[in-house]
Amino acid sequence: MNIELTPEQRALQQEVRDYMKTVMTPELLEEMKNDELKEGGGPEFRKQYARMGADGWIGLSWSKELGGKEMSHVEQYIFTDEVVRSGFAYPFLTTESVTPVIAANANAEVREEVVGGVKQGKVVIAIGYSEPSAGTDLASLKTKAVKDGDHWIINGQKMWTSLANYADYVWLAARTDPDESKKHKGLTMFLVPTDYEGFSVTPVHTLGVRTNATFYNDIRLPDKYRVSEVNGGWKLIMGQLNVERLSLFTHGQVDSLYVDTCKWAAETDAPGGGKVIEQPWVQHNLAKVKSGLEVVKLICWKQAWAMDQGPLDMAAASTAKVYSSEFFVELYRMLLEVLGGAGVIAAHSPGAVLKGRIEFRWRVGSILTFGGGANEIQRDIIAMAGLWMPRTR
Amino acid sequence: MDFTVSEELHSVQQLAAQILGDFTDVDTLKRIESQAERFDPELWKALAEAGLLGLDIPEAHGGMGMGFYSLTTLCEEVGRTVAPAPVIAVLVGAAGTLQRFGNAAQKDQWLPGIANGSHLLTSALEEYGNDDPTQPTTTAQSMEGGYAISGHKFGVENACSAARILVAASTDDGVIIALVDPKAAGVTLTAQQVTSGETRSELALENVQVPAEDVVATGAEARTAIAWASQATRTAMSAMAVGLCDKMMRITGAYTTEREQFDRAIATFQAVSHRVADCYIDVECLRLVTQQAASLIDQGRPAADAVTMAKIWCGDVTHRVSQASQHCHGGTGVDRDYPLFRYCLMARQIELSCGNTAQLTGQLGQSIAQEYLAAAG
Repeated sequence: MNIELTPEQRALQQEVRDYMKTVMTPELLEEMKNDELKEGGGPEFRKQYARMGADGWIGLSWSKELGGKEMSHVEQYIFTDEVVRSGFAYPFLTTESVTPVIAANANAEVREEVVGGVKQGKVVIAIGYSEPSAGTDLASLKTKAVKDGDHWIINGQKMWTSLANYADYVWLAARTDPDESKKHKGLTMFLVPTDYEGFSVTPVHTLGVRTNATFYNDIRLPDKYRVSEVNGGWKLIMGQLNVERLSLFTHGQVDSLYVDTCKWAAETDAPGGGKVIEQPWVQHNLAKVKSGLEVVKLICWKQAWAMDQGPLDMAAASTAKVYSSEFFVELYRMLLEVLGGAGVIAAHSPGAVLKGRIEFRWRVGSILTFGGGANEIQRDIIAMAGLWMPRTR
Repeated sequence: MDFTVSEELHSVQQLAAQILGDFTDVDTLKRIESQAERFDPELWKALAEAGLLGLDIPEAHGGMGMGFYSLTTLCEEVGRTVAPAPVIAVLVGAAGTLQRFGNAAQKDQWLPGIANGSHLLTSALEEYGNDDPTQPTTTAQSMEGGYAISGHKFGVENACSAARILVAASTDDGVIIALVDPKAAGVTLTAQQVTSGETRSELALENVQVPAEDVVATGAEARTAIAWASQATRTAMSAMAVGLCDKMMRITGAYTTEREQFDRAIATFQAVSHRVADCYIDVECLRLVTQQAASLIDQGRPAADAVTMAKIWCGDVTHRVSQASQHCHGGTGVDRDYPLFRYCLMARQIELSCGNTAQLTGQLGQSIAQEYLAAAG
């Protein structure tokens, strides 16, 4: 039992931190002022993403056969944590979550095209799971793929297809067994190139960032873009979601907000004299945030370490998701309280505190407790898998 | 970074669980609880014979020399069984401090007897109106051949049967740590009933003369020693709380799975199962911060903030899990013929001992402010 990073792990952390400072160029920061480009997709984002590929930073955890370095999950987590901390819109779900599934399951030609493109930092993949009437009950999705010779004809609509406005492919879950009562046993995964005829995107503006509704109108997709077996999609979705959770709730992104708030409070005058941080209620909030953050750090480390030991325990994965998502929201609130009334001023408006970053993160963070598997479902899993309690109804 | 529990430690944990399980059936606990002191000499002897009292005591002094982390494993198991065994006061506060900061003669005199169970040394860290053991209100005056100590400690475990009581006192020249003989002139022990159901003691010291041979540490060494004792005690309490809360949560999971209302197990209501799932999350959080604090102390690394955060979590989690367990049990949970009440009482005892959540949160906030004010210049 030794819960500290090794000197080598610290060195990796520092190396990534230093490298990411060179990625976050002034041009990129300028580009990201545009709300439409905050989550990537602009020319400077494309340039830096490709540079990360050229410099060998993409796919560290992949097998050597795929051009990866077979890094452990712990090292991979250290990398992810630092990249998110930097604020770069790195497409994690593409690189860490979907691409390994494609590499393991796609046919040779598509694997070369997609996995090779991701490795070079040239390909981004959006995820097409949710639909207007299929959210938490994902297996009720209705988008259809019908076999037509060596092609599939795809029709349907997806919601919350983030990044689809600039992604190169959508990782699409579609129903291939017309019997809807088969639910999760009738789903198949496809990669849909976004330049195909019949694909379209309309923006959805959320409390936080832009996302999309995507439409699939008689898309004629070659069978080579089917990934894994027909009606074998559910297993792939579940595997992907488990990995996804580990890159959503990393420590560095919120730790940096805490550190910046502490610095701000130590430099800023309080109304009655002294500095903001000298007030007991401010200290109270900061201490609450620090003790909660400590668990985010430990829970992430433990998850990454556990993934190196074997399959992830279901109750542990759900525990990490519920704790972190609920704490993130609490953290935004407690830090905004410290910033005071001006905490509500948005980025680029005069008077914005800490460039309005926490104000923005809170707005984005309102999706955390239901995104990636609603917390009620996670609690059901904890009760069943962790405590052997019966299924609720 | 490595969360692996070694084979050796795993064996210790299983051995402890087995022995503690053997001595904590309801009838035995009721018999022990009808005594003046909640202490089971036979259990203590069994732990000694298995080598478990000497987990953290060096081999040269009759122990196993497995380090502090292994001792927190024992504390967790004692929590899991609410066993009447004063492992924290004796093995952490007294023996742990003595073996790290005492002189060779003191270690030779006391440690082998603690490991083999023939001597009890206890520790008294708590004072009225003072939640910081490193700044005692008890005072010590230097005198020919030792110190004269005056002040009050409360909630002392096994004070009547202990050969010595480890105390800290403030002098004009900083803190000292000494071993007080409870039979010495000027010592008054008064029984105190506390929440856990134990009878503990108030220790009144009136000009008690402690000979030089019983002075454990003075000067800078004593400051380090009392900081260690305080951190180690808080961490051990958090470890005990992990065992207590894990068990309360599992009792509650099992009970709600059996208990039927409206023709169904109440665990099939999300309102119930989610409350227990929240306990699961809380216990995992407490386990992680406690493991971190214990492993830092084990390796002699700076642990102050890690320990403070562990005890902050300890206070929140003991409260929440205890309350949720009681609530989900309905009337059954408060019945003293059902095992849950012991866990809830011990949980509250630990929550409020040696620094509570509100106080430590305030302290942590001050230390954050100092850190950032210093950096801001």
